[in-house]
Amino acid sequence: MDGVTKKRIIMAKMGLDAHDNALRIVSKWLKDSGYEIIYAGLYNSPEKILKMVIEEDADAIGLSFHGGEHLYHTSRLIELLKTHNLTHIKIFVGGIIAPFDVEKLKKMGVSAVFTPGSRKEDILNVIKKSFDEN
Amino acid sequence: MPDKFVTTYDHTVGERLPHFRSLSGIEYKRIYDEKCWNKKLPDAGEYPFTRGIYKDMYRSRLWTRRQQSGFGTPEESNELLKFLFKMGQTGINIDSDIASKLGLDPDYPLAQADVGLQGTSMCTYEDMTVLFKDIPIDRISTTLIFPPPSSAVMMAQYLLMAEERGIPAYQLQGTIMNCPFTQLVGPTYQANTAFFPIDVALEIGLDLVEYLLKVAPRWNVLNVNSRNIRECGVDAVWEAAFGISLGMDYVRRLIRRGLHVDSFAQRIGFFCAVHMDLFEEVAKFRAMRRIWARVMKEIFGAKSEKSMQFRCAVQTSSLTFTAQEPLNNIVRASIQTLAAILSGVQSIHTTCYDEAYCLPTEKAQKLALRTQEILAYETGCAKVVDPLGGSYFLEALTDELEEKIWELVKDIEKRGGFIECFKSGFVENVLNEARYRFAEQIESGELPIVGLNIFRDEEANTDIEIFTQRPDMQRQRIEYAINYKNKKGRDSAFRALKDLYLATKRVPRENLVLPIMEATRQRATLQEICDAMRDALGFEIPH
Repeated sequence: MDGVTKKRIIMAKMGLDAHDNALRIVSKWLKDSGYEIIYAGLYNSPEKILKMVIEEDADAIGLSFHGGEHLYHTSRLIELLKTHNLTHIKIFVGGIIAPFDVEKLKKMGVSAVFTPGSRKEDILNVIKKSFDEN
Repeated sequence: MPDKFVTTYDHTVGERLPHFRSLSGIEYKRIYDEKCWNKKLPDAGEYPFTRGIYKDMYRSRLWTRRQQSGFGTPEESNELLKFLFKMGQTGINIDSDIASKLGLDPDYPLAQADVGLQGTSMCTYEDMTVLFKDIPIDRISTTLIFPPPSSAVMMAQYLLMAEERGIPAYQLQGTIMNCPFTQLVGPTYQANTAFFPIDVALEIGLDLVEYLLKVAPRWNVLNVNSRNIRECGVDAVWEAAFGISLGMDYVRRLIRRGLHVDSFAQRIGFFCAVHMDLFEEVAKFRAMRRIWARVMKEIFGAKSEKSMQFRCAVQTSSLTFTAQEPLNNIVRASIQTLAAILSGVQSIHTTCYDEAYCLPTEKAQKLALRTQEILAYETGCAKVVDPLGGSYFLEALTDELEEKIWELVKDIEKRGGFIECFKSGFVENVLNEARYRFAEQIESGELPIVGLNIFRDEEANTDIEIFTQRPDMQRQRIEYAINYKNKKGRDSAFRALKDLYLATKRVPRENLVLPIMEATRQRATLQEICDAMRDALGFEIPH
């Protein structure tokens, strides 16, 4: 990836869920593929992520959920981004997410949802494609 | 064998495994014979307990079937416990939601979406009484899965409940897990340090140990959870080494408090993982028993054989489960449960097949219990003590694992012990490397997983029943917590919290269990109690 056009992605978990195996693995995959990763780690609120998006001039947010908190936090974050005219920020969600919630997340405006067993190549392709479409 | 994900298989060529290494990388020989192992084994129940800590093992008493359970409100979890007992569960394993583990009430802003999701939401004394309504706590053993300082609050609630039921504490049987390093997603640094200062959490855990040894001598006071370490992706050797090192740190610290090793060692237990490599897992438990026995006798000077016994509960692995073809997970859980039985562990939680999607449904919980029951009553695997003992392969593997685990334990000890390694970031580095390696092994096909990276069927049906929480559960719990704290006439609770605040500030710090007990008795909530201590320590939590 061209260094000049490196996309900046914030990688975070929100709320109290601390299962970050996948977040760390996918962050490494993205970093190795040339993205700039701003690793926000655990225990983030939507407000904290918003602040980080602005300060870091991020292009996208990667969120990971394990325990069923995904709809609550993602919808609040998306609302917050809208009120700050940051709707161009892409949101990718991964984790243990029931099939019926995958569609709900996409309807909210999430660019892609990755569930357990998603392949590295597929994740990287989907993310690259979603940036290329801009 | 392909080195990438494959969806089809060439039936015209013979199949061959990609390699002959164990999950921890041990190269298996073609065949094992007397040249590999020709020693003698002591009987089960004899030091160093390679063949089991009791002479008759399951012939005398089967392992405890202890499914970890809890979700939503205490009322809902009480119903689940009753259902599990009806299906044949023999012990209780209460898991709380993360907020309760972190010492937060449901109305704490950052906690609100997590209330009741990964375990029961618990914050008041009344929650504890509702959770155990109609459960005979004088006759059944209960494991409470909490790290300190929440462990001290929950234990106070449990003891108070027993007192109100007229059950003396010395009659109570159970376990408080009580480890601040391994309860939340293994010993990952940020997960375990963001909501309470880790050094004080450790000391409060040890305060609780001292207190329980006096008032509840049958209660298990500490549980080293190496399962959560394993679930981050490390192998069997690292799991065992980290677990034993952490156990040694606890023993050392309790001795430093003036306790004799034989006064507490038999009240310390372990909670381990069981993975897919059947023989390596059996060898791991046999090696861990041996190492722990020697450590307790030779390093810590234990005289009682009970102090040297490695007592172990297990949960089969969730990390090995796939979301693809979820019914395959039933097979995985069955094999891991068999490995646990062949290892001679003391209690088993068989992970439910649907846990790659959600908390388990009742149907999945029942199947997990039935798995254990079928193995226990139909297969004969519990009829003989240490049924694999004496196998050239297993004994050589036990020796090899023992050596590898001990080498790592020595290295961790040289670095100052597990707790120092946690603080220095060494543990986190090992875990991260293991995570990346685990993912890479799946990507490369080095770790074959059926339905995922081999024999993958893109058209496979993944349609299973999925557990969903009651939609108004979280709102109900948040309102309950707010109303509880807004009730009038809480002056005695506030006074008790002030006393706890002052006790926490005092130098040298005193044992905090008594002021925590008093605050609990006066109906302070979990977060109010933890906040009193946080405030005294000047510790701020994420918001």
